[in-house]
Amino acid sequence: MDLIHPHSIAEIADVMKAASAAESPVLIVGGRTHIDKGNPSDIQAEVWTSQLDRIIQYDPAEMLIVVEAGMRIGDLNATLAENGQEWPVDAPTDSTVGGVIAAGANSPRRLKVGHVRDTVVEMDLVTGDGRHIRSGARTAKNVTGYDLHRLAVGSLGTLGVIAQVALKLRPLPKARRTLMVPGQMSIGDRLLAEVPGPSAIVATAGGIEVRLEGWPEEIEEQTEATRSVAQGSRSRDDAEFPSVEPWAGSPVIVEAAVPPSRLADLAAVAGNRWGALLGVGLMWVGLEHREGALQDLRSRAEELGGIAPVIRGSGGLGDSEISARTVHRRLKARLDPAGVLAPGRFWGGI
Amino acid sequence: MSDIGAARQDLIAALGANAVLDDPLARKLYARDASLVEGGCALVALPSSTQEVVACLKAAADHGLPVVPRGSGTGLAGAATPIGDALVVATTKMNRILEIRPQDRLAWVEPGVINLDLSNALEPHGFTFAPDPSSQQTSTIGGNVNTNAGGPHCLAYGVTSAHVLALDVAMPGAAIERFGSEGPEAAGYDLRGVLVGSEGTLGIVVAACVRLTPLPPGVRTMLLDFESVEDCAATVSDIIARGVVPAALEMMDHGIVVAAENFAHAGYPTDAAAILIVEVDGTASAVTAQAREVELAANANRVRTVRVAIDDAERALIWKGRKSAFGAVAQIAPHYHLHDCVVPRTKLVEVLAGVYAIARRHELIVTNVFHAGDGNLHPLLSFDRSVPGTLERVLRASEEIVRLCVEAGGALSGEHGIGLEKRDFMPLVFTDEDLAAQACVRAAFDPAGMMNPFKVLPDGARCGDFAVASAATDDAAEAAGNLPEGSWI
Repeated sequence: MDLIHPHSIAEIADVMKAASAAESPVLIVGGRTHIDKGNPSDIQAEVWTSQLDRIIQYDPAEMLIVVEAGMRIGDLNATLAENGQEWPVDAPTDSTVGGVIAAGANSPRRLKVGHVRDTVVEMDLVTGDGRHIRSGARTAKNVTGYDLHRLAVGSLGTLGVIAQVALKLRPLPKARRTLMVPGQMSIGDRLLAEVPGPSAIVATAGGIEVRLEGWPEEIEEQTEATRSVAQGSRSRDDAEFPSVEPWAGSPVIVEAAVPPSRLADLAAVAGNRWGALLGVGLMWVGLEHREGALQDLRSRAEELGGIAPVIRGSGGLGDSEISARTVHRRLKARLDPAGVLAPGRFWGGI
Repeated sequence: MSDIGAARQDLIAALGANAVLDDPLARKLYARDASLVEGGCALVALPSSTQEVVACLKAAADHGLPVVPRGSGTGLAGAATPIGDALVVATTKMNRILEIRPQDRLAWVEPGVINLDLSNALEPHGFTFAPDPSSQQTSTIGGNVNTNAGGPHCLAYGVTSAHVLALDVAMPGAAIERFGSEGPEAAGYDLRGVLVGSEGTLGIVVAACVRLTPLPPGVRTMLLDFESVEDCAATVSDIIARGVVPAALEMMDHGIVVAAENFAHAGYPTDAAAILIVEVDGTASAVTAQAREVELAANANRVRTVRVAIDDAERALIWKGRKSAFGAVAQIAPHYHLHDCVVPRTKLVEVLAGVYAIARRHELIVTNVFHAGDGNLHPLLSFDRSVPGTLERVLRASEEIVRLCVEAGGALSGEHGIGLEKRDFMPLVFTDEDLAAQACVRAAFDPAGMMNPFKVLPDGARCGDFAVASAATDDAAEAAGNLPEGSWI
């Protein structure tokens, strides 16, 4: 296995030209923290983005930062925190910006901060055959041309190498609090209706955590609203969130996604090591290496109108149908004509 | 070659005679959108169902007509202006809200539903559809999706793309595909994300699944007025620097304040150099905290007065002035050209000064009302087209404004789109390689090039043997070649 460490976008382009010419399949590697997501792929080399880790442009007043894709989340967070800002993805500090984007990783605070796809406003992408393409712009808002970068988010490195991105930032909240609410998912609906603007409401088999972020007086108000729904809740200020992750230690972790009202139905087949993002529809489920349990969860997720890819351990993405297969195939053929970017790793065997 | 007669017969068979128009008046009415370019079309179809949209696409494909999807036609970039022997497919009759599912925070709607009608229908459930373009009383969800529409409240809530979960799309080959999902993730590439903002060039949206946003428990609307444009713009940056992202942050300069006040009687200070409308929302205490920071930022920049709306009526009045501004400019001159470009927020003062200088040089009246928080400028040139030479001056000034924004690190459009108006400026911000890749995206959806040809990408943008403008009929190609000089306005 060759390990290749390009230092610039031009070097990435050279690497991809050579890989395409040799029809030699490669895997693009960031911090390896999301590397399990995807189907097995036979590759001959790894292209590491770790040498591309510079900040290209950062003016806090713009609430945007331009960074190379190999930048570590820990380093990025440190720089942004000095200026009272964050890129709200909550990924491990070893993860890279490019890896988080390619994996389409989800934050437990998605209810408030949204999807990572809506934070990427510009991208430099190197195609499978080594062309350097830029889309988007370094502005808060933009509708100029087709948003190619949207295709790369969650593409698992199968359409191109994410080399550089401009990211939309948020102000860091002035105060944070987690409320531990006893009870089952069923009170989640009332919390969603009664607590204004929570960052997250995470249900587990053992109880519910309500995450509050904002102005100090605001989280007091939200705390009161939470306690009016659920008495006996305990609060922790500035604690890690979520404070309990029952799914985390398992050899296989699934990230199921269903319409939010169907999370309770999914929980019924998820065992007891799960956490559900209420109002969002995501559920992380920890499984032992048991094919049966994974298959049951996938079948149920699909019945409920969702999907259940594995994000840690083995098990792949599952065989959910993708829409417009010919459009997918044409895009792959145009952006990676030799098919060298992690062939088979993506949905639908792409 | 296109066979209009045969297409018409197929359409009448599928849609009924009342839903197929080809009289001169209808063809003239549908020959343009809210931009200044007038095109032409062969036929207009008004489908009432998904099946009828499919029939339109099939008739167009069978008989060689390009298809131009259309909502209410409020687009300002010419994306819905047909060219040549086009079939215009207006989805305005498909205007049902199909279902509202508060527990899933989603609603399914047909493309012809009016933006404001949707938000009004959601209000009793405690939700709203966040994108609120100034055209919201008229524009449709299908149009909003196709332009990735913005609006004042997109500063805090994000543009249309962040509020579309899934789209059912009639593809150029007449298949129906669902892109995205009712859940938070979908299998496959984010083709939904590419379809949003694609200006009718990839397919026709037949249903949209939109995300519902909870209505905030509290709102405060403030009107700040300044003696200089610089102080006003600096306040925008200072508010953001204080860690406040208001729900809306809108700037209006002196000229537009006067026009809007004459029209809406909102109590705007007509002697101000510029005003800011700032809206903060959230819990009662969050509203108070943010309003405090806004006032501190304004005071640091010599604000003259801070007017806080005391009730919903006053809030509505303040917004009425803002949202009717584009109508109000009719007092200034009979025609206007509304620009849309976006620049880094910190460049607002410098770019505005440049815009005023350009207008002065070309002896044109310019007013500005825009989404300052997003750096999204809307310079508005007022003129009388009947005065010889005026249109030419407007064209030259407009081009200079585009170049000014690009040079300041901006983009061609923040929310109106590229359409016909700006397609020839695309090489200012993209390389040939970038444009070729964009052409490939288009070709992946529409290899025959039948969807809204001549829009978005400049002539010559190619993907392999797919060239953007080549697939349309010879007549249409000729018509496009004959577009008036500077047809991009």
